[in-house]
Amino acid sequence: MKTSGNAPARGRAGLLASLAAALAIGLSPVAAYAADPVKLNFWDMIWGPPEYIDAAKELVAEFNKENPGIQVEYRSIPWNNWYQTYVTAISAGTAPDLSTGAGYQAVQLYDLGAIRPIDDLIEEMKTSGDLDDFLPGTVDTLRYDDHYVALPWGIDIRVWFYRKDMLDAAGLKVPTTWAELREAAKATTKDGKFGILASGDTGGSHFLYNAILNNGGGLFTEDRKLDLKSERNVEAFEALAGMVADGSVSPASTGYNSDDRRGAFNRGQGAFTLDGPGLISQAGDAADKIGVVPPLAGPHGDKGTIFWVNNIMVYEQTKHPEEVKTFLKWWSKNQTPLWTKGNTGQLPTRKSIAANDYFKQQASRGYVLENYVPIGKTTATHAAGIFPALNEVEGEGVMQTFAQELWQGKPLDQILDTADSRLKSIVKE
Amino acid sequence: MSAVDLSRSEAGTWRASARAWWRTGDALPFLLLAPSVLLILAVIAYPMLTGFWYGFTDGSLLKYGRFVGLDNYVELITSRDFRHALWFSLVFAVFNVVGCYALGLGLALLLNQDVPGRPFFRVALLLPWIVPSIVSIVSWRWMMADERALFNQVIGLFGGSPVYFLSDQTWAVVMVIAIKIWRSFPFMMLSLLAALQSIDRSLYEAASLDGASRWNQFRFVTMPQLRNISIVLALLMTIWTVNDFDTPWLLTQGGPANATENLVLLAYRYTFGRNDVGLGSATSFVTLIILMILVVFLLRRQKER
Repeated sequence: MKTSGNAPARGRAGLLASLAAALAIGLSPVAAYAADPVKLNFWDMIWGPPEYIDAAKELVAEFNKENPGIQVEYRSIPWNNWYQTYVTAISAGTAPDLSTGAGYQAVQLYDLGAIRPIDDLIEEMKTSGDLDDFLPGTVDTLRYDDHYVALPWGIDIRVWFYRKDMLDAAGLKVPTTWAELREAAKATTKDGKFGILASGDTGGSHFLYNAILNNGGGLFTEDRKLDLKSERNVEAFEALAGMVADGSVSPASTGYNSDDRRGAFNRGQGAFTLDGPGLISQAGDAADKIGVVPPLAGPHGDKGTIFWVNNIMVYEQTKHPEEVKTFLKWWSKNQTPLWTKGNTGQLPTRKSIAANDYFKQQASRGYVLENYVPIGKTTATHAAGIFPALNEVEGEGVMQTFAQELWQGKPLDQILDTADSRLKSIVKE
Repeated sequence: MSAVDLSRSEAGTWRASARAWWRTGDALPFLLLAPSVLLILAVIAYPMLTGFWYGFTDGSLLKYGRFVGLDNYVELITSRDFRHALWFSLVFAVFNVVGCYALGLGLALLLNQDVPGRPFFRVALLLPWIVPSIVSIVSWRWMMADERALFNQVIGLFGGSPVYFLSDQTWAVVMVIAIKIWRSFPFMMLSLLAALQSIDRSLYEAASLDGASRWNQFRFVTMPQLRNISIVLALLMTIWTVNDFDTPWLLTQGGPANATENLVLLAYRYTFGRNDVGLGSATSFVTLIILMILVVFLLRRQKER
């Protein structure tokens, strides 16, 4: 076969032309893709009444409008089977880019390699001074394994409430110490009404956490060893057992769930109960008759209660970490409508949001923010931060059973030994 | 003949017999059954085998565990929680089966008579079975939750002191069983009523001619005629009671102090509360084995008779 002298040159030109054409064809979708906004999936738990979801959706729409290059898709996640929802999504490779979640979710999922630490974001916020806007301790609570695993956004806390009408009728002042609480509970137990309304569900175990943390105790030692039978803890349990022995704790408490307990409290069947800061706003007609007890001083002068720092976490499966960071920063700064419009039962972790008039109008929430949040402690106390075993400790029901048996008036040493051995078997100590 | 030739000839024979099988129509039933078999394998066999395997591992809901042999089974069998859940499951099953059978039979006998308003009662008595469990059990809960609840108001009318049905272990067990009986008796009643109506009337006429009393007619005619259906019903009800999650969970969440925690609730607690899939799966499998032993035993007894 013959070829002309410039055939190779023509061949090269043809090849280059073909390559150019291929590139032009091949790159055209890329160019089109580059113009498309980055899509992010944001899963948010239902943190309040139905209007909460609307407020959160509006907020996302506002972000999308301000940031045309990023489009966030909002999905509301119900609490029923939330754990399975996330586990299934992670296993199937369809996890969201970021989500809010239960208190220990971030550490649990981080331990399994599903959570992307946000150390860089925290560093940026530290440099810009934005981190100073968070209430003390809230950011560091989410530090685990030398990484920040999530950004705090809401606080759930347990505080004591009292019935103004019952205390007035008994001529009593609002208690300020545990000893006064016991006396007031005894004095208001009469005519088929009781001083204390507790419950036998998870909410019942919060009475135990509140008591030990109020007395300077804690479930763990600094090196994360179980410490249920510490001197301060036992003293706190004895204080509760004493109230049961006085007959001040409603015998129905063992069988009550938190809804039953709230209902009975709102109907005036008991003088004191322990609940979240949203109790008064959900009490309907009874709201005016309910007040918040100031933080009680324990026998050694300690104050404290249980709180959970709820947070937003970023998933390792995200393909757009920078865009996620942009959204997370925006959301964290602009989430005030979740309270003002969405009426979430959480308390804010940002001082700037806490300073909003909304919390001045809702006097009880403002009071809790000012007086209870600073003394809030986690279930991990005395260990620093949070860690995955806390989920099993709270979720398995040992403390629930302990509370039920305590309200039944069973001997404390016996039920304490049982709870201690069961907790040890859970954390494999 | 070389090995290759042999193999070719074998393949040819196999193809020929497959063609013959197809032509004769023998393959059709298998083809028709295949989708169901595949579905059963996918939704029953696979999860069951996977669960069985998990029982030998120490994994959580998020990560596969290591093989730990029989550790989970040993831990389970030696645990106090398991022994208690097994005991409660037994008590729950026995009392419910006996209770709902007795009530169902009594009402079936009554509705088999020509009583006034029979069609209305037949429908009305089915309500506990029809109403969703969440509605009925939560309603029951409201009626007994505390000293101001309906039950205690009635007790108060007779001068009695309040009873804390859900706070006391014994009362909680009684109430869980009672509500389960209330939910279960309509099925028993309906099945036994159908069986009663299929008994040949001539048997009663013959017994009557022989001078048998009504009690003897019930004992020697009705009961033997109901024997087979009774065994099947008892078997089904036992399985449904042992596997019942709704009643104890919605009424007491297994409390107080785990008094009403059956094996199913225990498996749930281990799996989702403790995040220990191995122990939860082992609990489920032990439950399955117990039920299978029971089923085999009862079916053999039925066959022997």
